[in-house]
Amino acid sequence: MTGNWWTLTRLVVQREIRERTQAKSFWIASVILLVAVAAGAIIPALLSGHRSTAQVGIVGGDTVALTQTALEAGRITETTVNVITVPDVASAKAQLLSGNLDAVLVGGTEVLVKQNAVFGSKGTLAGTLAQVGGFAKVYQALPPAVAASVARSGVGLPIHGLIPPPQGLASRFTGLAVAILIYVIIITFGMRITIGVGEEKSSRVVEVLLTTLRPVQLLAGKVIGMGALAMAQVAALAGCYLALGYALGSPAVQGAAIGVVAAAVVWLLLGYAFYCTAYAAAGSLITRQADAYNATIPLQVPLILGYVLAYTVLFSGGVSWFYHLLAFVPFTAPVAMPVLIAVGAAPLWEIVLSAAITIASTVVMVRFAATIYERAILRTGGRLKVRQVLASVS
Amino acid sequence: MGSQDGTLELTGLRRTYGEVVALDDLSFTVPPGQVFGFLGPNGAGKTTAMRAIVGVASLDSGTVRWNGEPIGPQARSRIGYMPEERGLYPAMRVFEQLEYLARLHGMGAAAAHDAARHWADRLGVGSRGEDKVEALSLGNQQRVQLAAALVHDPKLLVLDEPFSGLDPVGVDAMSGVLAERAAAGATMLFSSHQLDLVEHLCQSVAIIDHGRLVAHGAVAELARAGKVRVSVRVAGDAAGRWAEYLGPAAQVDSTDGTVVVTLHDRADAQNVLDRAMAAGPVEQFGFVHRRLSEVFRDAVGHAPQDEAQAVAAVGGSS
Repeated sequence: MTGNWWTLTRLVVQREIRERTQAKSFWIASVILLVAVAAGAIIPALLSGHRSTAQVGIVGGDTVALTQTALEAGRITETTVNVITVPDVASAKAQLLSGNLDAVLVGGTEVLVKQNAVFGSKGTLAGTLAQVGGFAKVYQALPPAVAASVARSGVGLPIHGLIPPPQGLASRFTGLAVAILIYVIIITFGMRITIGVGEEKSSRVVEVLLTTLRPVQLLAGKVIGMGALAMAQVAALAGCYLALGYALGSPAVQGAAIGVVAAAVVWLLLGYAFYCTAYAAAGSLITRQADAYNATIPLQVPLILGYVLAYTVLFSGGVSWFYHLLAFVPFTAPVAMPVLIAVGAAPLWEIVLSAAITIASTVVMVRFAATIYERAILRTGGRLKVRQVLASVS
Repeated sequence: MGSQDGTLELTGLRRTYGEVVALDDLSFTVPPGQVFGFLGPNGAGKTTAMRAIVGVASLDSGTVRWNGEPIGPQARSRIGYMPEERGLYPAMRVFEQLEYLARLHGMGAAAAHDAARHWADRLGVGSRGEDKVEALSLGNQQRVQLAAALVHDPKLLVLDEPFSGLDPVGVDAMSGVLAERAAAGATMLFSSHQLDLVEHLCQSVAIIDHGRLVAHGAVAELARAGKVRVSVRVAGDAAGRWAEYLGPAAQVDSTDGTVVVTLHDRADAQNVLDRAMAAGPVEQFGFVHRRLSEVFRDAVGHAPQDEAQAVAAVGGSS
């Protein structure tokens, strides 16, 4: 590996990047992904967003004070609040469930809502109602003993949802976005590698290139060039996601969701490293571009499996042992592990072990794929089978 | 052994594909500064040998030396190669492609930029420099392909069937460049299966068949070697009757009565001339040189075309 080795390999990298960024399809795909990711940041913000008017019921206690509390909460959250006095808690619950009321302030004790907010109540009308109501209660209950008791139990009133909220949907939502992103990026850039290698082989330009390049240089240049583009795209997507998320105050960038995004970037890197040379080897087996899809099916199926089963994990509530198993298989780990992290089902040791397995398998895969590539890239004739190539001596 | 002057030496090249012997102990040398033809019918093993020289095909045994040394990475960057099936990125622009190939052969960015334009202009495709290769006609693509082989100023040129698919103007342009490169001192090996078409271009040739060397040397010497033949025409004897005494050694061209006589000995020519002059006024008399296809036929016992058809029938390729 002399300086010259890298000089030539860098030329290949530069060509790959130049060629890809000159292609319209690259920019179209980038824009589509950006829009999807932007939607991923905006939708949770909208879901937790403020409605312009709200019906707030009040039950018991000092009607004037409670009305004042409700109107103040509305002012803070920029919501027009209509206050409705409800005779008792039972009818208040009935009206919440029927949708006539958006929230009910029960005289100095609690706030009732139909369902707790998906991304937490901070900043919502109900949350503000609970805070303002809590302060009002402390203010009224000025005697020190009571104040101390209130301080112990917290200032904000408890918010009770009548039906159970879905668990940690923010990070689940991010988990799904991550599963889609990893799956889409690996497969699209992998296919580009396959098509690019197949094109070099079928156009026979590889004959000219390999008079001065070693096959491994051509292979390395291609996967590094494509990898650099993939990472640039991911950086742009993650940057867009975080910037929009923060700008809109979206819950999608708060708490655990950030960890999921970080895990996604790491697993995307690992997944790309594991798969990229395999896609190149697949390209070296074909002689026509039309064969590219068929040749890569074995490489797509595990990713599709990990992605499709992610829905059951993310939305059925439970993680099966089978999905845990997928997180330790290098072919499926790049999708499965971030999904497990997103639902909080992966202890640290599982994450570390899965990463170690994927890295070790990548070393094996690179050697295996490079062997196939070197032997197949100059062979003419029809489409080759892996077994044929391995049986031959170059 | 080994010469430092640019000589290319092939020694004992052998390559088999299963049962098929593509190269069978092939040895010859290519001196620098000559247009050297590597000839033989389709399937004779030319492409296999050329791919082995540039390092994209492996050999079962044998060595390729250039300047007295095996061809390593350093030497490779000074080789210009034009593969038989051609090879360019279809969607890459002409200049960009030539620059890229020049840089892969070790040229700096500025030199590669200039060389790409120089060679595109020299080969008449300079005005198409910003077009994608796939947008060019096949003839122009072939010019770009030659430019790609020459752009880094190689000292060894290996060109596989450079004339196939070219129109007469293209053939002239290609011939001109090959002669110029040879005159500049480059070592050059180009292949063709059309022996008679290229014989006037070559100073020397190696002719192979079935992976074996059939003939090797200067074209002028090969043409003179072998049986001596004279061509004689006697005025007023359109049937060439004067030559009947010669039997099967004399072949009569029925259109104008020219008789081609195969002799055992150069000295017999005088006897033939005497007999012809006795029969009537001699309009034409001269020694007939062998064409390269005849050199081939004399060596293997059949014409190169037969071989090509036989190979095509079993679907083989070189």
